[in-house]
Amino acid sequence: MSELISVNNVSKSFGKKQVLSSVNFTVSAGQIVGLVGPNGAGKTTCLQAILGLIDCEGDISVLGLHPKKERVKMLNDVTYIADVAILPTWLKVSQALTYMQDIHKNFNREKADIFLAKTNILLTDKVKALSKGMVTQLHLALILAIDAKVLILDEPTLGLDILTRRQFYTHLLEDFYNEDKCIVITTHQIEEIEHILTDVAFIRQGEIVLAQSTEAIRDRFSLVAVDNEHLHSAEALSPLFKNSMMGLTTMLFDQQDKETLQNLGKLTVPSLADVFVGMMNKEMN
Amino acid sequence: MTPQWDPEKPIYLQLYQQVVTRILDGYIKEGEALPSVRKVAAEYQLNPITISKAYQMLQDEHVVEKQRGKGLFVLAGAQELMLNRERERFLVQQWPEVLMQISRLKLSAEELLSNKVEG
Repeated sequence: MSELISVNNVSKSFGKKQVLSSVNFTVSAGQIVGLVGPNGAGKTTCLQAILGLIDCEGDISVLGLHPKKERVKMLNDVTYIADVAILPTWLKVSQALTYMQDIHKNFNREKADIFLAKTNILLTDKVKALSKGMVTQLHLALILAIDAKVLILDEPTLGLDILTRRQFYTHLLEDFYNEDKCIVITTHQIEEIEHILTDVAFIRQGEIVLAQSTEAIRDRFSLVAVDNEHLHSAEALSPLFKNSMMGLTTMLFDQQDKETLQNLGKLTVPSLADVFVGMMNKEMN
Repeated sequence: MTPQWDPEKPIYLQLYQQVVTRILDGYIKEGEALPSVRKVAAEYQLNPITISKAYQMLQDEHVVEKQRGKGLFVLAGAQELMLNRERERFLVQQWPEVLMQISRLKLSAEELLSNKVEG
C-alpha cells in the first residue's frame, strides 16, 4: 500500500497552550481512518496542519508534497470539508457548480449533478433558501465530485438527521471511495462508522494514544464480565476501565493473554466506543 | 438495510456465511452475479476491505469466480459444494450437541418428528 499522508513529530502551540505534541501517523491508499477524540483534543488542528492551513513544528508530507509550500499543487488531489463549512448565501446551486468547474480541473460536473438529483436541492435554489442539512449535502456534492486522492472530512455529518447521515456514507462508499484513495474523518458518532473505518487514531490532549487497524484493535482489547470471586486477580492485571453495576463488573483489558482472561469470566469483543472510553480514561485515574 | 452483526465474530466471516446461506437457500443461483464490493459497502455501511475479504474466501473455495471487468459469479456446482460442506459441518460440529440435548431430555424420534409436522 502506498503511503499518501505522513505526519512526523508534529507539534503545535497556540500561545502557551500546547495543542499537538509530537503527533505521528501515516495514512495509506485504501484506508478509511477515523480520527477520534474528545472536544478540544486537537483533531481539527491536526487536520489543518495536514492541509497546510496552519504552521507547525515537525514534518508533514501529503502525496509527497509539503502542505504549506506546495499547497496549490497538493490541492489538485486533496479535498476537505471543514466542520464549519460555509457557502455564500447569495449563491445559486447552478452557480456553485459552474464555479467549481472553473476552478478545479478534477471536478466532475456530471457526478455532482447525479448526486444532487437524489436530493431535494434544485439547481435554481439559492444557498440561503436551503436548510442546514441541504447546505451540507450541497457541500458534499461539490467536494465528492472532485476526483481526489485524499479526502479530509471534519465532522461531516454534524447536525444531519440519521437518514441524511446514512445517505452521506452511502455516497462516500459507493461513488467516491476506491482502493487508490484514502479518507480521514473525524466524528463523535463513532458507533455509526465503526464498521466503515479500516483504521482509527485516538487523540487525547494533543497526543495520539492509539493508532491501529480496527481489526488489530479487535484482537488487542478484551472486555471481561468478571466473576465476583476473581475480582482481585482481575484488578491485578490492571484493566483500562472498570464498570460495576447490579453485581456485575465489566473490565476492559489491553493486550492480555486471552486464556488468562477466560478464567476470570465471560470474554467479549469490545466495540470501538468501549476501547475509546478505556483509552481516554487511561492514566488519568 | 444494515444487518445486525454479532460483535463476537469478524464481520467478513459473517458476510461470507450469509452468502453461503443465500446460495444454499437458492436466493442466489448458480451463474448469477454477486453484488459489487462497492454496492455491498454502501448498502451495509461497511468498509470495502471487509467485503473483499469475504469475497476472496468464496473465490478461494471455488464458490464464485471472477469474470474480468464484470465481477464475481456463482460457479456451477456451488450449491452442491456448499450443501456437502455444510452438511459435514453440521454433523461434526452441531449435531453431537443437539443429540446430547435430545437424550438429556429423553425425547423420542416420534416426538421430535411430530413436533416438526405441527410446527
